[in-house]
Amino acid sequence: MKLLLVDLWPWWLGGIAIGILVPAMYYFLNTALGVSTGYGNILKILNRASKLKWLNTSTYKDPFGWRFIFIVGMIIGGFVSARISGMPLLESGMGLFTDRLNWNYGIYAFWFFSGGALLGFGARLAGGCTSGHSIHGIATGQKSSIIATICFLLAGTFTTFLIRIIVFGGN
Amino acid sequence: MIRKIGYLFTGMFFGFSLSRSGASHYDYIYQMFTGENLKLALLMGTAIIVGAIGMTVLKALGNKDINGQEIQINRKPFNHNTIIGGIIFGMGWAVSGACPGTVLAQLGEGKILGLVTFSGMLLGTYIYARFAHKD
Repeated sequence: MKLLLVDLWPWWLGGIAIGILVPAMYYFLNTALGVSTGYGNILKILNRASKLKWLNTSTYKDPFGWRFIFIVGMIIGGFVSARISGMPLLESGMGLFTDRLNWNYGIYAFWFFSGGALLGFGARLAGGCTSGHSIHGIATGQKSSIIATICFLLAGTFTTFLIRIIVFGGN
Repeated sequence: MIRKIGYLFTGMFFGFSLSRSGASHYDYIYQMFTGENLKLALLMGTAIIVGAIGMTVLKALGNKDINGQEIQINRKPFNHNTIIGGIIFGMGWAVSGACPGTVLAQLGEGKILGLVTFSGMLLGTYIYARFAHKD
């Protein structure tokens, strides 16, 4: 039980749990695993009267639909994991990033906000994220997802290389 | 109603698994990209293989869901935006140390900077909707 609830899972256990979601969601819910499209649901909920064409497509007709419920579930899942493994209720740092640097908190916020904006914009332009493209898309044999994932990984590796040199000073 | 509960529980299972595997930890994402610790790359590879095996089994069983309906695979189009968006997404992955799924697990874990990344994602999605969406 300690392995499942307190220690971090080994990669193979996480991989099996997450991989099973793809056929399980198709079998039980006839739905493709995916997360990033749901961010449009939240935008629609924040502004129900939005005139933006994209937020008035059939995907966002019911903003409280399955994508929203799935997102809420994911937040609850993270919360449950943190509670049973004894993490603090609130955490202001972000791992080695805030450990290595001594920035003003507002600059950290600007950094992560910018990263989020790139994720949100990039995911929509690419048509999916790590869940929808990399896991669901490759598992269902889609060329578009293989190419998107290669781009995710190459750009991520190159950007991290730059961050390591410029931000962390080569450490 | 039963479907809604299904989505809630699959979402919880996903968020819980991401958090329990360390996918919501900045350090593991950073170390995957530097090559210092490939745990998350191995996790993704395993998930893809397990997912593909499961889909093959479903297909062999007649490609039907639990209600006997034909399973409709969500086909993703390919065009030059797949590449441009993929590169922008990869940059955001490295900068934030998160992806759209793991940031939700971070929210549940109470990571304040995860909430900031989440807010940035809403802005990025809005910028797409406002300026980049072609119908």
